[in-house]
Amino acid sequence: MKMEDMPLSGPDNTKLEALVHDIYSELVEDACLGLCFEVHRAVKQGYFFLDETDQESMKEFEIVDQPGVDIFGQVYNQWKNKECECPNCKRLIAASRFAPHLEKCLGMGRNSSRIANRRLASNNNMSKSESDQEDNDDLNDNDWSYGAEKKARKRKSDKNQNSPRRSKSIKHKNGELGSSVSSEPYKYNYNTGISYETLGPDEVRSLLTTYFLFLQQCGVISEHTKKMCTRSQRCPQHTDEQRRAVRVFLLGPSAPSLPDADTVVESDSFDIPDGQTLMSRLQWEDSPDISPADSASSKASTNHSDSRRPKKKKRPSLGLNSGGGGSLTGGGGSSSSSSQSNISLSTKKKRPKLSAPSISSIYDDLN
Amino acid sequence: MSPAGCSHVNGYKVDNWKQNLRVIYQCFVWSGTAETRRRKAKSCICHMCGAHLNRLHSCLYCVFFGCFTKKHIHEHAKNKRHNLAIDLLYGGIYCFVCQDYIYDKDMEQIAKEEQRKAWKLQGISFCFLSENLMLSKWGEKYTTWEPTKRELELLRHNPKRRKITTNCTIGLRGLINLGNTCFMNCIVQALTHTPLLRDFFLSDRHKCEMQSNSCLVCEMSQLFQEFYSGHRSPHIPFRLLHLVWTHARHLAGYEQQDAHEFLIAALDVLHRHCKGDTINDNGKKANNPNHCNCIIDQIFTGGLQSDVTCQVCHGVSTTIDPFWDISLDLPGSSTPFWPLSPGGDGSTVNGESHLSGSTTLTDCLRRFTRPEHLGSSAKIKCGGCHSYQESTKQLTMKKLPIVACFHLKRFEHSAKLRRKITTYVSFPLELDMTPFMASSKESRMNGQYQQTVDVLNNDNKYSLFAVVNHQGTLESGHYTSFIRQHKDQWFKCDDAIITKASIKDVLDSEGYLLFYHKQFLEYE
Repeated sequence: MKMEDMPLSGPDNTKLEALVHDIYSELVEDACLGLCFEVHRAVKQGYFFLDETDQESMKEFEIVDQPGVDIFGQVYNQWKNKECECPNCKRLIAASRFAPHLEKCLGMGRNSSRIANRRLASNNNMSKSESDQEDNDDLNDNDWSYGAEKKARKRKSDKNQNSPRRSKSIKHKNGELGSSVSSEPYKYNYNTGISYETLGPDEVRSLLTTYFLFLQQCGVISEHTKKMCTRSQRCPQHTDEQRRAVRVFLLGPSAPSLPDADTVVESDSFDIPDGQTLMSRLQWEDSPDISPADSASSKASTNHSDSRRPKKKKRPSLGLNSGGGGSLTGGGGSSSSSSQSNISLSTKKKRPKLSAPSISSIYDDLN
Repeated sequence: MSPAGCSHVNGYKVDNWKQNLRVIYQCFVWSGTAETRRRKAKSCICHMCGAHLNRLHSCLYCVFFGCFTKKHIHEHAKNKRHNLAIDLLYGGIYCFVCQDYIYDKDMEQIAKEEQRKAWKLQGISFCFLSENLMLSKWGEKYTTWEPTKRELELLRHNPKRRKITTNCTIGLRGLINLGNTCFMNCIVQALTHTPLLRDFFLSDRHKCEMQSNSCLVCEMSQLFQEFYSGHRSPHIPFRLLHLVWTHARHLAGYEQQDAHEFLIAALDVLHRHCKGDTINDNGKKANNPNHCNCIIDQIFTGGLQSDVTCQVCHGVSTTIDPFWDISLDLPGSSTPFWPLSPGGDGSTVNGESHLSGSTTLTDCLRRFTRPEHLGSSAKIKCGGCHSYQESTKQLTMKKLPIVACFHLKRFEHSAKLRRKITTYVSFPLELDMTPFMASSKESRMNGQYQQTVDVLNNDNKYSLFAVVNHQGTLESGHYTSFIRQHKDQWFKCDDAIITKASIKDVLDSEGYLLFYHKQFLEYE
């Protein structure tokens, strides 16, 4: 019937009801028609059958709600043997140990550079005994943070290695957005004091070579402190004469001459004077020019704690510039560890800048 | 010609047929404006019987309306040999020769365009529950997926099909703990069950611009594929861990970490890697960091308004900061937690289970948005008075994100003590954020804590979909999460073990990170 025929404001309730009913049924019909069109189209276009599923498949994926099993109907704790491939070193690692492995693999952990150095040292000396010591490092490690070496040892060895909790302070103020970086300084601070009582003559030789050649430090032994100067070779306090003298003194007549900034000399043929006296000399003065360490650890300059170097260490990193642990091996380095050193080097690019530009150029050469 | 079309339309497709068809759609099928609606109502009646119901059709060749049920249009078709008619309700084209509705690709294209135009004119805002979001929100034309011929063939050959029903495990998967990575697993579970994010990734919206393999967004996309693959064994997120550590150095390291920190870092990296997907109105890539339009910003970024009111001249200076989460102080912390206001019954607004004396989320929010008197030691330079004056500061929500994450500050690191605050905070399933909006601020300042709830205003209604809990102490503990799937089913995710949970379990849990999703979404 036509809409215009119906008196809209009729007081008669039945008419109103009839009207309401009409509108309602029209709406329902329209909705049904819409559905019909959808189905019709699906059939006509040929994809109507897609809605069907088979009972079997659906049964497979039903949620299970019983005690002792998860929603897939599996018993708990059967996933102990999962393995995955490390994206870095491509080895197969047990899944539950992946995080600690990755930390060391990427050189991000507190001990990673030390482990890397150790591994390189052991590779260099053709002894494999070190490479399996990875997991024991935690036990023997000394905390990197400066000023805490004495306590660090005791503290570390007591704690459970698997769940130390760093104090991450929650610093998000209301409204703060985005990367709120923990204000904790990087955990891998450098230690700047080294003692070498336990080194053999070979190590000393290589060490000194590195020191003089790669790091290109002044090295002149100060009269007052009896320690070697850590400034660059252009250090104003000492003359070239003094520098040459020290080199000869420590390494013999065939000691490397003061090189130019970029040459790297093979270091195989030095004589070493008496080891012990040498040891006592091998103490580095802290110099603000060179130490890349953070401000947090610049306090005690020559704090060489005896507990620092456990006996296993054959080639300690020269703390001040230990960025490229692998660079110590220089020409004789084994290639297998070079990838490791590259990794540790690249991860350390974010370190506080090395102040002596010549040094970084050496690393570039090595890389 | 599509397979569902017919050859008879070819007679129609001559001269200016497209324009004619458009006119028909605009005027008589999809009414954009009130005016066209009126015109349609007045003119669309059957030319033979005058009725406006009965499935009115319009002839495509001439101006003739006729009802379908009474066969008036059929008569016209026979008499005039006009073989095509259009249904005025849904725009379907009927061919009298085939005696069926036909679906011609070109004509359908025109129909869709006109329909969209009409919707725009009407200003229809589409309100959808978060489960059924239409993809047009992402700036691309919405089309339902229709299989091509080849796809149909393949599908016919493979009849085993899975459909996600309410009782289906697809979409749920355990995550192996890689060594103290429970915090990461919980956040991953929460993100994979964020409906908008799920829709975005499952519809393959990410176009990667990074050269190397280290795009975190791609890895997220892969993660969704894993979750919806139907595999039952837990997934090993080792690649994700590797990528996060590479891109967020401060998180790297095998030790227990904070889930909230991880969330912020993850969102940040995702945001940075989303560059390829930001598209502004012109279709060009907009890379303005302040006005990024990537999926992360669209979903998670809200605006926090901070008003500083000078006590002397009452001038207000306002700043708006973006945020991804709201960190709330708890009672029991050493920061002063103001007692409930005189209008303490405000919590009933949200229907929380209000055990007498326990703090509710609303209380915490109220505290968060209260005006705070900055002491005399923190005088602000007032622009009005041109001098340093005491002031009050108040935070309110300027713009609410689609997904609001509340972080209850349970880990206290003050000068003297470091501890975990285990006070129970009850949180509701449904949350109305209206009282905390900047627009409601004025009435709050006047002391009216009781807000009349506008039932019709759906803008600020949120519903809970994920809860991350922490058990243990500050030094060591374990994270688990509850996530919601299929409207009202909750599941507990404890690393590799997923079990069904009741709503009561969820609401009774301690709560550390609470994820709320807007209930009604609108097109912009």
